[in-house]
Amino acid sequence: MPFHLYQIIVTSIAVIMIYQGIDNFVKGKNHPTALKLLVRIVVWGGMAVVALFPVITFWAAKVIGIEGNLNAVILTGFILVFLMIFKLLSAIERLESQISNLVRKDTLKNLKTRNLKLETQRKIRR
Amino acid sequence: MNEKIYIVIPAFNEEKIIAEVIGEIKKSGYAKIIVVDDGSGDDTFRIAEEAGVIALRHKLNRGKGAAVKTGIEGAKKLQSDIVVTMDGDGQHDPADIRIMLEKVEQGYDVVLGSRLLNKKDMPLVRVIYNYLGNFFTWYLYGLWVTDSQSGFRTYSQKALELIDVRSDRYEYDSEIIREIYRNKLKYTEVPVGVRYTEYSMGKVEKQGFLNGLKTVYRMIWSILS
Repeated sequence: MPFHLYQIIVTSIAVIMIYQGIDNFVKGKNHPTALKLLVRIVVWGGMAVVALFPVITFWAAKVIGIEGNLNAVILTGFILVFLMIFKLLSAIERLESQISNLVRKDTLKNLKTRNLKLETQRKIRR
Repeated sequence: MNEKIYIVIPAFNEEKIIAEVIGEIKKSGYAKIIVVDDGSGDDTFRIAEEAGVIALRHKLNRGKGAAVKTGIEGAKKLQSDIVVTMDGDGQHDPADIRIMLEKVEQGYDVVLGSRLLNKKDMPLVRVIYNYLGNFFTWYLYGLWVTDSQSGFRTYSQKALELIDVRSDRYEYDSEIIREIYRNKLKYTEVPVGVRYTEYSMGKVEKQGFLNGLKTVYRMIWSILS
């Protein structure tokens, strides 16, 4: 079976991405977790499988219930991208909130001492 | 006068006006003032400190909502009974604080200063922005108020204990409305005067249409996430 150029490109990128994921996981780089590795394998592995065996998309279209194999793939892709963006935004939100809490804690550290100093100054002035 | 009334002022790059704002509030008879410098790049913090108030400083800029929250948390730590929040750009008149405090003494948990109940000098574009803000606040949080974006507000001790807002930026003001609704707090609105000086209008420009859109987006996101 002759391969098209896009199949070679997509598969090569997928192999590199999966290799990097496994490498990070084994070497403990960039806070690796099993879930992150699994997501990487499923996403990139899925893309490689679809590129290598396009006939799978017909089966997927039948299972999802959407006419047209390409539509099913695009829809699934959109859903995945949306979920990833949602997860990313949630993580950013959580980080922002944590930063604010840290900054606030640091700001209020010496509040009582400052207040006492101010009160003393006021009393002296009176 | 209640000794435990704290005035909280969030300030970001307000070195030109902050001393005047503090001076006016002191002249009106309120000595307990907390200025929260939200990571300004100018001398706001030093000027506030020299003006003899509790000056706090965020090491990083976290937004107006975060600064107000820090000030309120500080006031709570100092056993405050009532907290008044005002903007740091001098647009609010400290003379209105007395009316707000009277309302708290009458039993209201939250008193909202409303610029739209007194909109005679308000630029039309600000009136439109405010109505849009009010609409989205009502639509998303369920309570209609005439000025959902006002930073001039007064909280009783009960309100300070119950209100739990997490937003850091301008959506903080709208989330307060949500908390009033959620906690069934007794609230009222009072007309407040606003001084639209060249300086405060310059600040207003920074809170223009695009920032308004960002605020609405964050309000929707806070519901979804």
